[in-house]
Amino acid sequence: MRTYPARVAVLAFIAALTASWIVRGQTAANQSLVVIENLGLPAIDEGVVEDDSHAPNTAEAIRRRALGAALAAQRTGQGTGRYAPGRVIVKFRDGISTTGRLTALSTASRTASLRTRPSYADFDIVSIDPGEDAEAVARTLRARPDVEYAQPAYRMHTQFKPNDPLYTQLQWNLPLIDLESAWDIQMQAGSAVTVAILDTGVAYDNAMITATIPAFFDENGRQYPALGRVTIPYSAAPQLASPGRFVAPHDFIWDTTTPLDFDGHGTHVSGTVGQLTNDNIGTAGVAFNVKLMPVKVIGSVWDDLFGAPNEGTDDVVARGIRYAADNGAQVINMSIGRTGPDNCTTNSNVDGCAPAVEAAIRYAVGKGSFVVIAGGNDFEFGNPTEVVAEIAARVPGAVSVAAVDRRAVGQTGGHRCQGTAAQPDCHAYYSNTGSWVELSAPGGSERGFGRDGFVWQQTLDFRFTETFLLEPSQFRAPRFDVFNYIGAIGTSMATPHVSGVAAMLIQQGITKPAAVEAALAKFAVDLGAPGRDNTFGFGLVDARNALRGLGVAR
Amino acid sequence: MMRNAGTLLLVFAALSFVAPASAQTTSYDDPPAISLRPFFLASGQNFTAKETFKAVFGRTVEPFWGGGAQLAFRNGLFVDVTVSHFKATGERAFRVDGQNFGLGIPLTVTETPVEAIGGYRFYVSPRLVPYVGAGIGSYSYEETSDFSTDDENLKTRHTGYLVTGGAEFRLGRWLGLTADVQYTRVPGILGDGGISKEADENDLGGVAARFRVIVGR
Repeated sequence: MRTYPARVAVLAFIAALTASWIVRGQTAANQSLVVIENLGLPAIDEGVVEDDSHAPNTAEAIRRRALGAALAAQRTGQGTGRYAPGRVIVKFRDGISTTGRLTALSTASRTASLRTRPSYADFDIVSIDPGEDAEAVARTLRARPDVEYAQPAYRMHTQFKPNDPLYTQLQWNLPLIDLESAWDIQMQAGSAVTVAILDTGVAYDNAMITATIPAFFDENGRQYPALGRVTIPYSAAPQLASPGRFVAPHDFIWDTTTPLDFDGHGTHVSGTVGQLTNDNIGTAGVAFNVKLMPVKVIGSVWDDLFGAPNEGTDDVVARGIRYAADNGAQVINMSIGRTGPDNCTTNSNVDGCAPAVEAAIRYAVGKGSFVVIAGGNDFEFGNPTEVVAEIAARVPGAVSVAAVDRRAVGQTGGHRCQGTAAQPDCHAYYSNTGSWVELSAPGGSERGFGRDGFVWQQTLDFRFTETFLLEPSQFRAPRFDVFNYIGAIGTSMATPHVSGVAAMLIQQGITKPAAVEAALAKFAVDLGAPGRDNTFGFGLVDARNALRGLGVAR
Repeated sequence: MMRNAGTLLLVFAALSFVAPASAQTTSYDDPPAISLRPFFLASGQNFTAKETFKAVFGRTVEPFWGGGAQLAFRNGLFVDVTVSHFKATGERAFRVDGQNFGLGIPLTVTETPVEAIGGYRFYVSPRLVPYVGAGIGSYSYEETSDFSTDDENLKTRHTGYLVTGGAEFRLGRWLGLTADVQYTRVPGILGDGGISKEADENDLGGVAARFRVIVGR
């Protein structure tokens, strides 16, 4: 009888110890989202599933975008402008004292105050009243001689146009860049190379998530009910995860070390870089042995609903770039971007430009990281300048990537487009053109090929994640442990092709970012006007040509 | 044992000096009307396509080995025919802003020149015979590398031109050693592709230091 309470006490102690250990293992700094890592069942792989809800320009696709904007507006209480309200990114010149900085701030805004400098930043964040015009404050600041640059925290987004899966002819995109021959040359396919995926996160880990889902209004003003505190299963993508695969994960949206993907974009992009290959399962990736570094710098609808403290703005992205470079990423894939003015080339310290991101890109290249940036998907919407991609054109060691579609396949004499040599006809209809375009890669298109024209990879099954697209009465908590193969199009999809080939080239011994860029450009299959042009850049990236290089006379 | 070996070495050394001197009074002053003289060749060529060879092989000087025959006339004229061979393995590469980057893919180049030279030998001394010459050659060139298709490998032959000048040192009545410098120009093989095109180098020739052991009077 006396031992029974003692046993109970011991068990209670062990339980308490275990609970405290689990809580210590939680990486969420913000208690609105609790992630318990390495806990959960294996993922459910549904293979390729028909899912017509992800065709571009469908009502669902438009709703998804509108809902994201509506949620952002509800969260901030402000309009969904181009930049996050209430703060300005400022880089003071070296040697400016704290007093000097405060004096400078006082001239720009009566409400300005200096925040503690965030990690992986060489700039300061200045808080201002959310109602103040951040661009006007930035303009005042950058006119001062003691300020190197100042800019609002412009919002970035993924360059993603998801679409529905199909079983047949899944990966036309990999032969298009001559990968099979390249794999013969580079059997390791980048095994010693780390590719950072700066994106919406990656489904890289099994976890159990606890989050509070509040009531919200969609873009039409319909109220969705609060679901309260819910427990959500999360699994690593079966075709991405393998022992030692993921290194130094970091989440700049939640300020944690668990950059879980609640969107699917980052996981899809990661698949194109390094989907497990030659295992008789699913699809293939370009550099299928690389190590992946998930760095979450873009939030999703669920990040908003879960109450993420940050969103994908310039300062967050800049920190992500620096983090990746500091933690050994040899390639940084950025299937993200935003539009802006077309005069950043001459002076990036003006409204709409991204000096903080540019400084981070230059820093990363200086540290030996090759940076690959999506060229943008707005060709049919005025073809505006893609600000981040445009930076790449000015930095040797960073490239911007345009998209070609499936009409580039199988033409006689190499990978040439349909159409004439002078007027090639494989420009993906959405892919921005401009002086900043440096390379092309398969981004896919549904036009002319339907679902056969997409880029396919495994990612989260949207039917289980995008429950916010259901009617309010059917709204339910998501689950992130069901995966299938999703066809998607966009320069987001083109970019990881280049990152993968770059990783293979680095494995081959070409480690200088500028040399990697030069090799990719030199050995690209020229499309369009001879030499570089604004549609295809230097041409379609060709893995075999790049890895094989040149001989003495051939 | 050591003393015997030392003595033997001294005897050989003495003989090597004595033999040429003793020959002076015989055939040196009196070359035959016509003489067919086979020879063995070793040379080192510093290729004109320096950037190309540096990128692929990491050096610009490559050794050639070969042999041939010389028809020498008493009036000083001579005709040489030489067949030589060079084979080296480097790596495929690319070139950016004058910097070379090796890719680790083995590449093997084989060159087989067949050269005919006509020239004049100056009998200025019984032991030292300077000569000059000029000629024409046919240069067989083969380039193969891993992961290449037959179409991507190269096998070709082109004509080149050369001039040479040097001297023959008579070591004995039947033995001579020549040292010369030969300049070769071989257009048509390099420059249309590969690193050579990038580097704007179109000459497979170069300047060679050649050494021959000639057998005959």
